Amino acid sequence: MSNELAGDFWNVLEKSGHPLTRVPQIALSPRPTDSWAGSGIIETHGTTVIAVKYDSGVINVGDRRATANFAVMYDKAEKVLPIDEYTLLAISGSFARAMEVVRYLRTSFKLFERTYLQTMSLEGKLAELAKVVRAGIPEALQGIGGFIPILSTYDVEQKDGRIFFYDGMGARFESTEFGAAGSGSQQIRGVFDYIVKTKKPFHEMTRNEALKEALYLLDIAADLDAATGGWSKVMPLAKTISSEGIADIPNDELKSIITEIESTGADRFRRVEA
Amino acid sequence: MYTPFDFNEALSHRKEYIDDRLREGSPVVGLLWENGLLLLTVRRTQRKVYEIYDRQMFSGIGNQSDIENIRLSAIQMAHQEGFERSPDDVSSQRLVGFALSPALKKAYGDQLTVPFVVRALFAELGRVPASDTFITLNYDGEYEQHFDKAVVAGTAAAEDKMLERLGDLPNRLSLTDALSSALAAWCVGARQVMKRAKDAHTEDDDYNPLRDIDEADADAVFLKDELKTGQLEVGILERRPNLVNSFRLLSKEELERAVQIAIGNS
Repeated sequence: MSNELAGDFWNVLEKSGHPLTRVPQIALSPRPTDSWAGSGIIETHGTTVIAVKYDSGVINVGDRRATANFAVMYDKAEKVLPIDEYTLLAISGSFARAMEVVRYLRTSFKLFERTYLQTMSLEGKLAELAKVVRAGIPEALQGIGGFIPILSTYDVEQKDGRIFFYDGMGARFESTEFGAAGSGSQQIRGVFDYIVKTKKPFHEMTRNEALKEALYLLDIAADLDAATGGWSKVMPLAKTISSEGIADIPNDELKSIITEIESTGADRFRRVEA
Repeated sequence: MYTPFDFNEALSHRKEYIDDRLREGSPVVGLLWENGLLLLTVRRTQRKVYEIYDRQMFSGIGNQSDIENIRLSAIQMAHQEGFERSPDDVSSQRLVGFALSPALKKAYGDQLTVPFVVRALFAELGRVPASDTFITLNYDGEYEQHFDKAVVAGTAAAEDKMLERLGDLPNRLSLTDALSSALAAWCVGARQVMKRAKDAHTEDDDYNPLRDIDEADADAVFLKDELKTGQLEVGILERRPNLVNSFRLLSKEELERAVQIAIGNS
């Protein structure tokens, strides 16, 4: 029995040669095309996920679509996933890698807790996520496996919701108000600022106000990004994290806000007069 | 020349060495309750009941570093297996039979290695109540599966007395009743191993503070006395819709209540 690896799940996997920790030997030549169409690999991608603060924590909203190039692979994808009691990971990009990372983080946090008899610190959790994002760089450079997460958590010491977003290299940024990732996120980036500047900061909003804004944002992303599913076919997925932990926002609640959104604003079916 | 006789002789020396060190260990009781399993012991210094994985917990007696070694190995293997396959595929049977038992046997038989001084008790919450199990693992690698109750103590005599005290358990008890029952069994086992230890050190029977007390009250007096220096520790696995967090240690209040009931009942 050897315990030099105790508590560090990355080392455990590295020693066992698990593929998560190894660079795949797929490309022998430089990246041939942007979409890797020539490789025969069809990679499924998660699309838009949004995190906004509210007065008691953080709300995460995501559409349910997963796409592969121009095909809709799945319309019931879950892209907002609990990692532990107070941590949510909203995922975009490579679905395969993201799901493996989610399983990795769940196992890694639990292994640490069970080994050392204390929960991993927030800094420790953020560093673990940075490590797996960074480990995906060689794959991402070959045109597959890139994924961008948003980590939302409730800081029980500061008694505050916190949102962290990452770039493809594993750099971590903390956002004071919101975060978004995925194909539709660029299109709605400025809208977040517009809301904060013209209405009020997300962290001062009630749960209902912040949820409504997040759903508006998702709707705009679905309008402006071909890959984002919106809510026309399947209800989005929404979860909150507060001092009481993670909770699902029920479908009925989402439905009533969506009905309200759809009954206001400009008529979507108004024809443009020539 | 190294002969079969030497091999036997060496093993019996090692057995004697380990048994001596295990003898005074605070026993551990494993018992089913209506919604899961519990492991109960009284600790003097370090924690003794640990979570291994989503549905597995562990306790034991012996050398602290050996207990720690087994605990860390079990935790690591369980997490690796759970990640590479599924949490549903992690089982105590496999952890003990595949990883721990062969390593213990190897260390026990290898004359150039210090053997493990440990006797461990694993508990596993099954997918259905009928598959709840305990596994006891001995320092020589031998292991046994048990279904309604299991104990580990410093001597075989103490273990026998504890099992006798627990008796037949046709139905699962409530958590309160299971705690009382387990605590009573712990007292019987601990008194037995302490009696052995005292007999070995002194012939003076007058020293026994319990000699004039009825057997029924003796447990309560003994327990009160033990809890002056020790601390009751109980870990439970509880069947819930989400099995990820099925383990917890009972709170101080829950433990105090159990002690009050045990002392009151005696």
